[in-house]
Amino acid sequence: MNWELIFWNAIYTAINAGAAAMCIVAVGLNVHAGYTGLLNFGQAGFAAVGAYAFAIPIANYDWAWYYAIPVVMAASVGLSCLLGLPTLRLRTDYLAIVTIASAEIIRLFANSTRFTWLTGGSDGKQGWTGFFLDLNPWPNGGRYRLGAQVFDGYRLFMLVVGWSLVIIVSLLVWALMRSPWGRVLKSIREDEDAARALGKNVVAFKMQSLVLGGLIGSFGGLMLSAQTQSATPGQYATNLTFFAFTIIILGGLSRVKGPIIGTMIFLFVIQIVDNVLSQATRNDKIPGWMATTSNYSQVKFIVAGLILAALVVFRPQGIFGDRREQVFDVR
Amino acid sequence: MSRGCQRGAQVLLRVLTVAVFVALGLLGFGGDAAHAQGDDGDDAAQVVRGRVINEREEDGERIRENVAGVRIVVETESGEVVGEAVTDDDGAYLIGIAEPGDYIVRLDDETLPEGVSAQDGEDSLAVNVRANSSTTRAFFLGEDLRQATGKLGQLPQTLFHGFKLATIIAITSIGLSLVFGTTGLSNFAHGEMVTFGALLAWGLNRAWAGVHLIPAALVAIVLSALAGGMFEVGVWRRLRRSGTSLTSMMIVSIGLALGLRHLFLFRAGGDLKQYGQYTRQRESLITLGPIDLTPRSLSIIVISLLVILGLAFFLLRTRFGKAIRAVSDNPELASSSGIDAERVVLVVWVLGGALAGLGGVFYGLEYGIRWDMGFTLLLLMFAAIILGGLGNPFGALVGALIIGTFVELWTWVLPSAVDMKNVGALIALIALLLVRPQGLLGSKERVG
Repeated sequence: MNWELIFWNAIYTAINAGAAAMCIVAVGLNVHAGYTGLLNFGQAGFAAVGAYAFAIPIANYDWAWYYAIPVVMAASVGLSCLLGLPTLRLRTDYLAIVTIASAEIIRLFANSTRFTWLTGGSDGKQGWTGFFLDLNPWPNGGRYRLGAQVFDGYRLFMLVVGWSLVIIVSLLVWALMRSPWGRVLKSIREDEDAARALGKNVVAFKMQSLVLGGLIGSFGGLMLSAQTQSATPGQYATNLTFFAFTIIILGGLSRVKGPIIGTMIFLFVIQIVDNVLSQATRNDKIPGWMATTSNYSQVKFIVAGLILAALVVFRPQGIFGDRREQVFDVR
Repeated sequence: MSRGCQRGAQVLLRVLTVAVFVALGLLGFGGDAAHAQGDDGDDAAQVVRGRVINEREEDGERIRENVAGVRIVVETESGEVVGEAVTDDDGAYLIGIAEPGDYIVRLDDETLPEGVSAQDGEDSLAVNVRANSSTTRAFFLGEDLRQATGKLGQLPQTLFHGFKLATIIAITSIGLSLVFGTTGLSNFAHGEMVTFGALLAWGLNRAWAGVHLIPAALVAIVLSALAGGMFEVGVWRRLRRSGTSLTSMMIVSIGLALGLRHLFLFRAGGDLKQYGQYTRQRESLITLGPIDLTPRSLSIIVISLLVILGLAFFLLRTRFGKAIRAVSDNPELASSSGIDAERVVLVVWVLGGALAGLGGVFYGLEYGIRWDMGFTLLLLMFAAIILGGLGNPFGALVGALIIGTFVELWTWVLPSAVDMKNVGALIALIALLLVRPQGLLGSKERVG
């Protein structure tokens, strides 16, 4: 067992470009679930729309990347409207079910053989990250070290871009939630009827929250695919949404720092589990009937699911959250 | 997967199949085929052997079956017949060849089952027979495109498939609907209860023991019911008593679903599994007017309808069924009029577990068993119960009928995008919520 590599690889996983992207997706979800109390089970759908709306114009139609940004925004807002209009007046269950269903529709569409010409099918969409390579001030093929973990210049660049974006969106969310607008969102979460009685258009505010969180989630999804240089449907399975849920609950709901701390702790734990099992199965430290090299990688999902369930039951405020701010009580 | 890739995968599959048969031949597993043929095959030093395999797509899954009774002829290039055989029950043939050399193996089109022909017209294959060796040539059959019925002619069959899917969705979603009605919980782990039943029956039937499917399924249903009850007592009852909100419980259920789903994948693997009985029924098709159906599908539909009728009777006519409906309507009022709400909820969970197990076995029989079948089905179940009206078990039936039909109609309208067939149903759900959010049979007060 190479404990040094296990440790440094887990540290790297907790802070790499993928972690930053995951964190942005979670910041978006925090706007929905944490601040407004909207149960969005389809954040993966927003993330997928962000990645594909960016990748397709560039890869298929040779657009410049800065023209593709408005496409991402338009697609994300469009999806919010599509999901929000039928469901925001109804009980939270409806939003939850409709969002999880549409995230699955989007993934099936991206995965479909019929639309391979557009989305790249299950092999994914490549050939749209060239401008990132050009913008990169570090040599793309360079070698950098973090403890025992080695990574290349492109990963370093995406790491810096990713966490810069995390800081920007976190500051944006922090500023917005301190504003009167943000306080209305929190009041809707606390007591929707009271907010309505004070003359606030609750549905409109919920819609704005859905759009804002969705936009952030879309850019997170974009970064998630950009760091692997390929948008694949597998990245946007429902697991992504529930990893994001685990992250925001772990870090504390409706906390600006929540997604950042949550991402790091969550990914570190998951990666440690995965790395230990990977080494143990390869070196025959675990009997074959328990886990093998071909199935050990499922254990991290089992652990993730149990963490999510256990957190909600035993420590809903997360590690640093405020119990009074923990409100999954929306009807 | 791109078309090129799929093509490549098909070729690879064939190469692998041939390789496996060669290996089996070398190991002597093809031995009984030699006796089946009798005559001149036994003493010849060199043989040509192989199999006739029919490949078809059913509900998006590739199914391969061996074809018996096909005449295979070995000829010289000038057309002189040097040997022939008829495939046995395993679709295998073995022909002894007197002299090594170049020959052509041809399959007799006249002896093929109706509606199939050799894929890409490859009904004859060149073969180089070497001395004292066994040469393998496999034939692949596929749907005969020359006899394809018109688009409209396929509609009744499509609707029948939709109805079949609808009965399975109905069976599994009643439990989900009853749990929602009595406790208010949208249980996202219900799909995993379906997979649990299907996998348990498969384990008893194939993996751990060779129990016949019917007793295996009965045991699986009982254990699913128990699991449902334990789920309620061990998790949900405690959470309700500790005052956990419904939203939190929903997230707990999704965390458990995520964990369970990957536990199934971890333990049972990611391949598509089949039960040991009732899976190959192509020869015994029953024809009802424009519809062809297997005895399996017919039994599934009949049993499902009987179960649904029984449930309807239970809910409408028996004391306990009325208690369940009373709790669904208003738990406080039901409790104050002397109904033990906790017991009702427990029974609902046990019943829901049993139905999920039964539905899982049925779904597994029709479409194969996979670790994530429950999740796929869950979205259709939710769509069905929302369409019909949340919390109304009869609404779930209506919703299931619509969803099942929509899914299969998608394959009829857009046969080129079969891998997206669930999309139609989910779009129908979103569209209905826009115009009638309470669902078709729902009451308005449940909304908002």
